[in-house]
Amino acid sequence: MKTKSIIRKVLLSTAGLVIVVFAGIEFYQHRHYKETVVIGDWVEVKKLGDYFEGIQGSVNDCNVFIIEGDEPGATSLILGGSHPEEPAGRLAAWLMVENARIQTGKLIVVLSANRSGTTVTRPSGAYPTKYTIPTSWGGQTFRMGDRWSNPLDQWPDPEVYIHCPSGQNLAYVDIRNLNRTWPGRANGTLTEKTCYAYMQLIEKEKVDLVIDMHEAELQYPVINTIVAHENGQELATLVSMMLTDFEGFSIGTEFSPKNLHGLSHREIGDHSDAVSLLFEAPEPFLDATRGITGEKQLLEGKDEFVIKAGEHGLLFAPMDENGWPIDVRVGRHTSTILQTFESWNEYYPEKLIVCFDVPRYAEVIKNGIGFYLKNHEEADNKTIVFE
Amino acid sequence: MYQAAGIVLGVMVLIYIISLRFKLSTELAMLMAAIGGAVSAGHWFPARHIAEGAITYLDINLIFISATLFMNILKESGGIAFIIRSIIKTFHKSRVLLLILLMIILLIPGALTGAGSVTVLITGGLVAVVLNYMGIKKIRIAAIIFLIAGLSAAAPPVSLWAMMTAAGVNMPYVGFFLPLLIPCVLGALFTIFFLGWKGTKIDVDKAFKELPSPPEKMNWWRIIVPFLIFFGLIFIGRKWPHNTPIVGMPLMFLLAGLSSYLLSPKKLKLFKISADTIKQLLPLIGTLTAVGILVQIMTLTGVRGLLAIMFITLPTFLVIGSLFVFLPITESVLMYGSAAVFGVPLVLLFNTMGLNPIVALAGMSIIWPLGDALPPTAIIGRLTVDVVGPKEKYSQFLKTCLVPSIVIAIIGTLMVIFSKDLGFLTGI
Amino acid sequence: MDILNTIISAIYYLFIAFISVLIIYNLIKTKDWKKEVIYIVILMPFLLRLFFLK
Repeated sequence: MKTKSIIRKVLLSTAGLVIVVFAGIEFYQHRHYKETVVIGDWVEVKKLGDYFEGIQGSVNDCNVFIIEGDEPGATSLILGGSHPEEPAGRLAAWLMVENARIQTGKLIVVLSANRSGTTVTRPSGAYPTKYTIPTSWGGQTFRMGDRWSNPLDQWPDPEVYIHCPSGQNLAYVDIRNLNRTWPGRANGTLTEKTCYAYMQLIEKEKVDLVIDMHEAELQYPVINTIVAHENGQELATLVSMMLTDFEGFSIGTEFSPKNLHGLSHREIGDHSDAVSLLFEAPEPFLDATRGITGEKQLLEGKDEFVIKAGEHGLLFAPMDENGWPIDVRVGRHTSTILQTFESWNEYYPEKLIVCFDVPRYAEVIKNGIGFYLKNHEEADNKTIVFE
Repeated sequence: MYQAAGIVLGVMVLIYIISLRFKLSTELAMLMAAIGGAVSAGHWFPARHIAEGAITYLDINLIFISATLFMNILKESGGIAFIIRSIIKTFHKSRVLLLILLMIILLIPGALTGAGSVTVLITGGLVAVVLNYMGIKKIRIAAIIFLIAGLSAAAPPVSLWAMMTAAGVNMPYVGFFLPLLIPCVLGALFTIFFLGWKGTKIDVDKAFKELPSPPEKMNWWRIIVPFLIFFGLIFIGRKWPHNTPIVGMPLMFLLAGLSSYLLSPKKLKLFKISADTIKQLLPLIGTLTAVGILVQIMTLTGVRGLLAIMFITLPTFLVIGSLFVFLPITESVLMYGSAAVFGVPLVLLFNTMGLNPIVALAGMSIIWPLGDALPPTAIIGRLTVDVVGPKEKYSQFLKTCLVPSIVIAIIGTLMVIFSKDLGFLTGI
Repeated sequence: MDILNTIISAIYYLFIAFISVLIIYNLIKTKDWKKEVIYIVILMPFLLRLFFLK
């Protein structure tokens, strides 16, 4: 009897261990997967820790890509990956780094604003750990992430998160949400320090314009829009008008609420001289009513259940059987960035930013994102950066 | 997609029912249903999804373990017996005062931690003994403790249903204090007076004769210091959040437990108490872990979306009118997961309808915990019955909870319907 | 502050390790196969965190 019990315990424990080992390998591989960025020799690569030593050597000491034009002008900071579960923001930033040329001004791009969040997926979310964008050489794979920093990098959470400096109470998990911890704290948590480091970057590089790229579920009212701090409202309105008239897609504008703290569009504008804007593209993958969850749904953006929600008037963005493919979402972001630069130049002719070689909305849809990604296998090692 | 998710849902329900028929526990039945669902959707070896789902409620489990460990240490040291004797001695003359005091004692732990089970484990047993000496039947005592524990979990400052849903819709957890506090206090007052008013006067001599005697060296300091440490850490974290490190709820309970252990007048076997704590919490931790796995598989296979879309596309009057049944049922299956699965689309739906999402969510938050007594999980209900120990059947316990539950559900539903008019409560 | 945060994190990992030991101890002691399964299931998240995997 005793032997039987021991054998049973051993067998059951082995089964449990097998699950832990297989799952553990997948978690480890996800956390340590190296994405590649191929850059031109005109791109300078710094680290976020160069601006604030408190973040040096940490998982969030991410790459900061700087492309400077021959002529002085405005400086713009583009943030991808504030919420790494919103891949269009990261991919649009990728296209910028691998393709953009600057004639006037300076472009600073971050691909993984919260790098820690790119190393984990949400428990109970059933996200894929990676996704692959098809390219002519087969495909390029990226880490799928979460909305929050990885608990392995920041743990424990408080019972309630009190935002600094406003003192506003927020859900406890949001202490790991990069878009709730602006303007950050030098002696705070990893996520707060990360925001603090960006604020230092904004100050030291004399950034004039910050753009934070996101995606949202279609059931969320702030979608297909530019959220603007009051210092960027006119600019955002002009960008919205121009895109709607000339690019074939509509995008609205929202004003950053003054009593909603911790968000980039509010705090960067309040605590620096930079104009701060946040772009939202639609991502059906994030909807709570989404159907089968996986890489296909993430990239194609098609979902029958979300369409059904739309038929009942529950969505804030249109949804049909064509869905919201990743090319469309990324194209919206690249065009909105380029249009923002063009509109900026109309408002600030004495401080221009002139950017070219970045594909616009129609081009990204026509050729696909993969067309604009660079093949690291054929690239010179010196031009490859690991993200 | 409808067909695929529908088939998986059918398989899951079938396996769940069969598992229960074969006398498996609810947590095992949920586990079997999750694995069966994954396999039927073509995920032959969903190791990553099982592990990822299992870790969903790790932090909540840590709170449960550390809080219960603290309480068990206090109990073993004779502290609980000492507190009960003191309360009876001081307040036995005024029933109204005593009931209000006990209600507050029940509301505080859950309000601070967001977990009704912490209320049951920390103060439930203690309050039960006092209520027993007030001549209230054990079945009614269990109902009082369960219902107020549920309300304490929904009460501010920490209401996990409201917080999880708010986080899910990217809404700050702001403006919830009064919309949560008022209905919770009203509900708790009604519950304790409705179920606890009838009774007998406390026979102090009899009570003192029956109650276990605490060790001679036991005194108030040995009891107060651990609580001072716990509440002191919470206070410091709230008062100087940006000048102090984040301690987290589990470590607060651990430090309180450690001080209780060091101050105990008698020698305690820490390892045995700790191992017994895990044994005691096995159904609770097991259920939460299984729920995490179940929700992960439901999300993976589209079942979560199917259920959510089916409910929120019902006619509006049916959605709101059935909240009082629907929310407790989802809670009974998914526990806090219900906020993520159904709370999020419901709040977005109410927002689309022009209702006040904060007040509506607060109303929903007081209805949700009623489901914690319902099978299949019935976690808090079972825990309460274990702590209080009534002789009647579990169904009798549910019947005793019925009238106050209806009142609480009506308050919650009215808050949803009139959320726009009650918007001033948010202070925004 | 950083040192304090590191110490607190380390205590949490120690607590996780302690709970893992308790779960394994109870797993060895129990005679009910259903409880054995649940002990193994609840052990998984603790091990994943303990070994910095999730």
